[in-house]
Amino acid sequence: MNSQLQRQGSATAVQGTGYTSDQGSPRLRRVTSSRSDQNGPQFNWRPASAAQEDAGQEAAVPPKDLRALPMPMALKRAISQVQQMQVPVLSSFQSWKRSKAKSLSRARKSIGGFLHYITLWRRSLNKIGGNFGDGVQSYFLFLRFLVVLNFLSSMLIIGFVLIPSIVFRSVASDSVNMTDNGTAECRQYDHKPDPLVRYFSYFLDLLSGTGFMEYTYLFYGYYRNTMVAESDFSYNIPLAYLFTAVFYFAFCLICITARAGTAVRVAVATGGGATGSYSRIVFTGWDFGCLSDRATKLKQKNLHYQLQVDLEEERIKNEAASLTLRRKVLLYSSRILLSLVAFGLIIAAFYGIYQATTFSQRKVKETGVLGLFYEYLPSIVITVGNFVVPVLCDQIALLERYNPSITVIVALLRSVFLRMVSLGVLLFTLWSQITCFEGVSEECALCHYNHKSYPCWETRVGQEMYKLTLFDLLITLAMLVLVEFPRRMVVDNSSNKLIQFVGRQEFLVPVNVLGLVYGQTVVWTGALFCPLLPLINTLKFVIVFYAKKITLFSNCRPAAKTFRSTKSKVFFLLVLLFGWSLALVALIYSIAEIHPSMSCGPFHSLVSMWAIVPDSFYSLSLTTQGFLYFIGSQRFSIPLFLFFSVVMCYFIALASVYGKSVDLLKAQLKLEARDKQFLVKQIEELSRTLGVAK
Amino acid sequence: MGATASHLGKDLLSEYQELTFLTKQEILLAHKRFTELLSREDKNLPDPRAPTEAILTLPELKSNPFRERIVRVFSTSESRDGLTFEDFLDLLSAFSDSATLEIKSHYAFRIFDFDDDGTLDENDLEKLVNCLTGETDETRLTPDEMKQLISNILEESDIDKDGTVNLSEFQHVISRSPDFVSSFKIVL
Repeated sequence: MNSQLQRQGSATAVQGTGYTSDQGSPRLRRVTSSRSDQNGPQFNWRPASAAQEDAGQEAAVPPKDLRALPMPMALKRAISQVQQMQVPVLSSFQSWKRSKAKSLSRARKSIGGFLHYITLWRRSLNKIGGNFGDGVQSYFLFLRFLVVLNFLSSMLIIGFVLIPSIVFRSVASDSVNMTDNGTAECRQYDHKPDPLVRYFSYFLDLLSGTGFMEYTYLFYGYYRNTMVAESDFSYNIPLAYLFTAVFYFAFCLICITARAGTAVRVAVATGGGATGSYSRIVFTGWDFGCLSDRATKLKQKNLHYQLQVDLEEERIKNEAASLTLRRKVLLYSSRILLSLVAFGLIIAAFYGIYQATTFSQRKVKETGVLGLFYEYLPSIVITVGNFVVPVLCDQIALLERYNPSITVIVALLRSVFLRMVSLGVLLFTLWSQITCFEGVSEECALCHYNHKSYPCWETRVGQEMYKLTLFDLLITLAMLVLVEFPRRMVVDNSSNKLIQFVGRQEFLVPVNVLGLVYGQTVVWTGALFCPLLPLINTLKFVIVFYAKKITLFSNCRPAAKTFRSTKSKVFFLLVLLFGWSLALVALIYSIAEIHPSMSCGPFHSLVSMWAIVPDSFYSLSLTTQGFLYFIGSQRFSIPLFLFFSVVMCYFIALASVYGKSVDLLKAQLKLEARDKQFLVKQIEELSRTLGVAK
Repeated sequence: MGATASHLGKDLLSEYQELTFLTKQEILLAHKRFTELLSREDKNLPDPRAPTEAILTLPELKSNPFRERIVRVFSTSESRDGLTFEDFLDLLSAFSDSATLEIKSHYAFRIFDFDDDGTLDENDLEKLVNCLTGETDETRLTPDEMKQLISNILEESDIDKDGTVNLSEFQHVISRSPDFVSSFKIVL
């Protein structure tokens, strides 16, 4: 606030001098005279001498952002010319600071220009926003964020794991330090594909990641525990593998929080907005980005509908306040009953997934198309469940008679829960098969995991996630070709009343976002076992972007309900964070708890994946070890903890002080308004009595 | 100093970059689009002014119900008609992605202020609502609804209860709706 005032002040000061010094320019004079009657910024046309006195003090203030002044170009130019003339007044330090600021802004501008070129899909996004509103645009922005995130993280993995693996595979041999805890039986792993296969089974292998795909850089099993140690250079593939996975998770968390931070700040700072809803619709409702007549008409219809409903609702709300007790009881009991039904549906879906996974893992030995079907059974059941249950839940939500905004949230929360936890059930089933429930059965007693069914279990988990990712993409494309296009054709070419009533499909933002979050969670879960999954996912999301864009423009009608993008952004990221934490649990469990397979992979000689960290720790030099011990010790951690506590206390105190002053100012504002009203009333009364007296 | 129709000088370009929220590419694109709007004889003038009718044919403005107001607000001519290239850049700058909330709300206020008297009174609000819902009979609000709506708006936003919404009251409302920055946007 303060700096703004200062800026305003300096603007007026400079304005004064600018006007006098530039009086020769006829263009300028014309423009200012034609402008002065506007309700634009009110300038204080002080005499030039006073302004010049100010200039000395103002010089300390850095040049303000001319772009933010609501004035025509000619005036802004005049101000900037005056600014340039003021420069000699500055001391050398200030001029240095100013020139530095200038070159910095120039650098920023050139970076901005560069970003302008590389920003992905800028024009497409503009077009989408213009035709379908910013709710739909927010989905595509989210998709773009995920594409960039996946691309960067796949670069990370390629740079630190894949390229070193390829390079060192030819240079160095495995560092064979097999311990005795694994028997020969555990180390059996037959990954050689059958040389005499029919050609279509290549296609099947491509879809399920088996056969020729299995023993490649795609999956965990192909990586070796290579260690390269020269005199001044050493690279440890297992360590790099582990740390890259951990850093990948941290990187994703940082990206999500950074993005959520801005969204939350906007949502919190504006208070979510319970008050002033009519003014808000009227003053900010118009979307100036509308590009076509159709979009404009639609937006107008939306706004009309919104205003009418709000006015209607206000009337109804007053009536609803007087609902009888009996009807209230009836309503609440029906709500409880229906949410139990919805919960039952979700549980049934989980049970189905559990059964399907167990069944498909038992039928691993099947080959051909039937084998493929069994391979894909869990993915199919998950997808079917995710299609059917949310539709039923939506119907149930309609019966529950919540008000519209709550209905959307309830339906959304149910489908988030279903999507994420169904993935969790799949993982749980896989894990319990691999470890035979803590290794009590004889199959697991030998190698600490089920080595008969899963000679290289990490690859199997990787394949499972690979299949889920691929299946998700195939479903999206199949829906596009088999459902969405035919539906549009039928709707466009038929005059049947019923079909016209059903109409073209709407683009439902929440459902589509959930699909993305689900895909991303699968990738996070599988990234440890299938290091190239982020790269595959980047490609997948790029394809999804174009597929969704095509279906949006050719098959969809704009949604009847508007979708506020600000709050939903936070919600999307929260759901994404939920998926991230689910994947994190899987990651920690598989790194710390399960015995890595003894027949394959970079960790095959270790008790757990994490064991590589202590091992390599002890191979460090003594000074480094001492230093790391010191960091881990209480002598270091307690002062650090205290320091952070103090900093946190400071910020909490600061926040509470700000909160208090905001409350105070609000109260003051209200009082001022009341004062004003009181004075106006006084004036009215006074003038009335004066009029009477007259 | 004005933009001649042929091409933009380097100095002028960097000056425009200083004075607007636009990037170099956006300015060049704006210049290209602006030159296309000019008639042949106008192109040779030192500081050509594109007529309002030509500007309203831009697809970005064509279907906007506020298009005439927008041109009026940004025009610097005496008759408030037609835009020079610099006016056009001012327009694009205010509607650009990176413009501040302050400048956007300022211009929004002036666009909504149909009679140019510096406050939004009941007539301004009625015109504004009609622009928002469309002018046809079926999309118009009924007189009762309109009356109710306007009194609700004034109830919410008219803090000093003088019967009109002034600039600071308007900006107060705008500052609480974060979607405004993204919706008050025209990109070429």
